[in-house]
Amino acid sequence: MTSSRDGNQPDAGELTPIVYRELRQIAAAYLRRERPGQTLQATALVHEAYLRLAGAGTPWRDERHFVGIAARSMRQILVDRARARGAQKRWAELDRVTLSASLAAATDPESMLPAVDEALTRLEQIDPEQARIVELRYFVGLGIEEAAAALDISPATLKRRWALARAWLFRELSGGR
Amino acid sequence: MTPAQWQRVRELFEVALDAPPANLREWLEAQSADSVVRREVESLLNHHSRAGSFLNEPVPESVPALLDEEEAVAAGTVIGHYTVVRELGRGAMGRVYLATDSRLGRQVALKALAPHLTGDASHRERLKREARAAAGLAHSGICTVYALEEIDGHLFIASELVDGHTLREEIVRDRQPRADTILATARELAEALASAHGKGITHRDFKPENVMRDRTGRLKVLDFGLARSSHALTPLSSSPAGALATLPGLLVGTPAYMSPEQLNGQPADPRADVFAFGVVLYEYACGVHPFEASTPLGLAARVLEGDARPVADGCRHIPPHVAAVVDRCLRKSPAERFATAGDIVQALASGNAAVEPVRPDRFQTMWRVHQAASMALYVVAATIAWWIKEQFKSPLSLWTFVAIGIAATIAGVSRAHLLFTWRMNRSRLTHEWQRVRPAVVAIDLLMAAALAVDGTSFVGIRPLWGMLTIAFAVGLALSTTLMEPATTEAAFNQPAP
Repeated sequence: MTSSRDGNQPDAGELTPIVYRELRQIAAAYLRRERPGQTLQATALVHEAYLRLAGAGTPWRDERHFVGIAARSMRQILVDRARARGAQKRWAELDRVTLSASLAAATDPESMLPAVDEALTRLEQIDPEQARIVELRYFVGLGIEEAAAALDISPATLKRRWALARAWLFRELSGGR
Repeated sequence: MTPAQWQRVRELFEVALDAPPANLREWLEAQSADSVVRREVESLLNHHSRAGSFLNEPVPESVPALLDEEEAVAAGTVIGHYTVVRELGRGAMGRVYLATDSRLGRQVALKALAPHLTGDASHRERLKREARAAAGLAHSGICTVYALEEIDGHLFIASELVDGHTLREEIVRDRQPRADTILATARELAEALASAHGKGITHRDFKPENVMRDRTGRLKVLDFGLARSSHALTPLSSSPAGALATLPGLLVGTPAYMSPEQLNGQPADPRADVFAFGVVLYEYACGVHPFEASTPLGLAARVLEGDARPVADGCRHIPPHVAAVVDRCLRKSPAERFATAGDIVQALASGNAAVEPVRPDRFQTMWRVHQAASMALYVVAATIAWWIKEQFKSPLSLWTFVAIGIAATIAGVSRAHLLFTWRMNRSRLTHEWQRVRPAVVAIDLLMAAALAVDGTSFVGIRPLWGMLTIAFAVGLALSTTLMEPATTEAAFNQPAP
């Protein structure tokens, strides 16, 4: 995200609403596509949004810059929607005794989204890069290589830091110490 | 925890993860004297080992429904004078319902436009304007728009109910159509598009999902002009804020059916529909996309740079003259395609894809000659200025020479850039032309003015040479303002901006 500071590119804050709207629209189209066997891939979604927004050339020269903003938008979209569908209520109703086990088994990813989001905001204050990694890997679904390229670090480093972020969030959500 | 402590935690965690120590506690004692750090690393490693598949599956894959925006309207819901019967489908624009119009007692397709399309007031107005324009289209191959309704702040489009299936479903079925079916499909689609182009309306998002075949076998094109309009755009605004303001208008259509110029951010005109027609017909006849690639980015790259898979490969049934039409629709340069769908109709009827001579080659050569000649004129201009400076040896003539020299360099390089673009990346030529043109015109006029001043002061000493210099200056100015726009339009079928 260092590239967003070079003056040529608009600030991430200004662009997020546009990217957000675009991703939603493309997602809707993806869900409708009749091609059999075609599943929705967030990566393809982000690529397509990039294409549509980058067509004009000017502010989006840097695909990496875009992917960062798109990942943040994806997080916002998914969490907002989970909240609207009453995820918090189901989260509160989960059995605290078996919580750790059901998190590890990822039985109901939707219900834990708002909690993941809040924990991620706390992690972000300690280490912003950790939050970027979670956004790219979990909210967009980029592979190790792609996420590493987006953050300009080596795949091996990304893999280790992703493990750290997962452990940290898992501890937060399961209420452990 | 301080940033320094966290830094250390991260390092130790990563090391321990790569090569787990035999005794973690002892190893940690040896690594750090800070008990906060040690406890944190131990806790994180412990949770890491228990995390199972936590966060391993990305949300969009595990819960795709979260990306879906609006909730469906339940059957029986009354919206204005429409009663929803059931949902028919879902698209980028919003959900479509089968509804009963209680005023006229007929069934309609009611499209609820998604809130993200109608949230912005100016965008909403534009959408309404376009829907009204599309409502003026009456053709058996176009799905008739009955009304645009604004109910409780939501926009709805009521249109003819087409009972049938989309062209996408036919393509997916994977059975290549017969020659006469291909020809009939091509004709019907071209006629529908032609009737709209004749009224000045461009579809902008022509794709198999937007074509339906009703129970009688007739094709109907849906969603005319509803893709976001790109009017009133200045794609190359200088400030980031300016560029930002124009961004939403640039997103038109579906990348897989976008022409190279649309992918480059230029507005869609009928020739973009012609390109999309080529892609759709190709896909229909051959069952594959002409620029098939595994990712949307890869596909766009092929649309911009690569050639389409030749039509004859792998589609046995396509009649040769239809293949020729498709080929011409898929040209990278808009000027080389049919100008409107009307020309496609003619070409299909006459069996000749080249209804009018394909203009580019000869005219584009003229355009390139003009660019090269202009560059030569700059050299002459600089030489004349130098010669006059030698005669006068005055500061004015010296600075005129310097100014002309600089101007000639800038304009010369700009024109060389255009020639280079023509050669290497023709689809961007219009774009580059619009970028460079104002500067080149200004510089040419400046150079002409400077030479005219030089010539005027020279007339007193050497009338003939002075007059020739003035004539040269006038010629340079006219070449830019008079000849070049005409040559460009002839070469690219596009008015000079």
